[in-house]
Amino acid sequence: MKDLIKYTLHDYLRSQKYFPPTSTYFILILIFYTYKPNPIIDSYAVTALILFVTSAWLCMSVLSLDAPVQRQIMILHIKSSHKYYIAKLIAIWLIAVGLAVFAFVYPLVFGMFAEPVSLKVGFVSLANHILLATLGISIASFFNKSMMESTVNAYGGLVLTLILSFASLGIYKVLPSFIKYVAWLLPPAVSTQIPLIQWDGEMIGELSLIPFIWIFIYSVVLFILFLQVARLKK
Amino acid sequence: MGELVSLRDIRKSYGRKEVLKGISLSIEPGQVIAVLGSNGTGKSTFLRIIAGIESLNAGQVLFTNNSIRIGYVPERFPKNIRFTPVEYLHYIGEISGIPAITLKERIPSFLQRFGLDQFSNRRIGELSKGNIQKVGIVQAILQPPDLLILDEPVSGLDAEAQQELLKILKELKASGTTILLTYHESNIFECMVDRTYEIKEGLLYEGALTKKAKEDLKLIEVKHVESSTIQGWNDILRIEEQADSLLLFVGLENSDQVLARVLEAKGNVVRVVTVEMEEIRKG
Repeated sequence: MKDLIKYTLHDYLRSQKYFPPTSTYFILILIFYTYKPNPIIDSYAVTALILFVTSAWLCMSVLSLDAPVQRQIMILHIKSSHKYYIAKLIAIWLIAVGLAVFAFVYPLVFGMFAEPVSLKVGFVSLANHILLATLGISIASFFNKSMMESTVNAYGGLVLTLILSFASLGIYKVLPSFIKYVAWLLPPAVSTQIPLIQWDGEMIGELSLIPFIWIFIYSVVLFILFLQVARLKK
Repeated sequence: MGELVSLRDIRKSYGRKEVLKGISLSIEPGQVIAVLGSNGTGKSTFLRIIAGIESLNAGQVLFTNNSIRIGYVPERFPKNIRFTPVEYLHYIGEISGIPAITLKERIPSFLQRFGLDQFSNRRIGELSKGNIQKVGIVQAILQPPDLLILDEPVSGLDAEAQQELLKILKELKASGTTILLTYHESNIFECMVDRTYEIKEGLLYEGALTKKAKEDLKLIEVKHVESSTIQGWNDILRIEEQADSLLLFVGLENSDQVLARVLEAKGNVVRVVTVEMEEIRKG
């Protein structure tokens, strides 16, 4: 699997398909930090959302690298469609972690914050970036070329899902009480925003961890479903 | 001889169109089988199903051994690969678990055999159709497979490369690889094919005997055996019912086994003769 991850990263680099998502990401981060000083937790919460969308985009472009026949050949060589897709998802995740580190380190290096970042705030913010990146990848995996033949449907479906995930809190508020909990099925991209903004950054114990755990569980469930569906689709 | 793969009632549809309507076949180790048929009859689908890279709607593909290595040469090897043949084959080898030292030896050797060594530093996407196809062949045989599946392997290959491929396939066959292939116009493989099948309207028909089979044919005449006992024996190419006996047409390689099984079935063997196909036709 390590070799397929290496192959994927090398192929992605050669393809130059990384350029649109990563350059957009870097530009958005640079624009976001145009003015200083910035509030630490709120700024990191916003850049994590930018990474959420970027990771979904990365996932679409990485999973479209192999033509269908090439994908079939690779699956034959690695002897498992699960291994093939897990390797691809790990490769995407590694790139997304790199981007998360950039979003975390850039404001620190260039002194974009009014005060120093404590270890607790730094840890929670980086974890939030990585969790949202994972969520973005898990959602986008369902809209890749191997799952949907039409590119329009794939990108359209992904954009719609991302919009719904951003609007999930608003949807939750306007829904009648008896169906309110349907909103829990929407991707919980913004669920960590309120607890983070309300957190004073002092004690991790004061931060509600349920939204973070929910994002993790949601992503894992999506990955498992994706692997099962991909195996059936071949 | 045991089976390598057994296909049971394979069915495959694309939308409303049923491409394969219940195909059963047993493939024995070391056999070379050609699957023929017109365009769009489902040959490629059939091969991909055996390779395990295409889903099926019903039926089963059973391998006697789960660790069987399968090599697959697609009809059109993808041309958008961004690596040189050397880089790509190294990755394929590593992904397949071939030791680096073996790869170092095998890759240049195969590239040289197919005349690809001069293009080893050019990206696959920049190569001609025939040379891309050669890379597609090499990736499948980099590690000698137990089952090699080739879908129209000579499409785009020059005569020299076709002969080299034939030579390699003969070597693989000699080392025990089972080969399943489709071809259209080319008959360069006829000399090594043991059995041919034709896919017609979604069903598989045992085709005409190949040149090799014709040369190696044996006729066994048996009495006091019901034809129903014999039917379904894969090693019998054809059964003809006579007034008081059965004529079994068997490949030379299988004749001893068939004889033994006939005797087990308590039939009297009247005669065993080696015949040419033409003689059989004359009656």
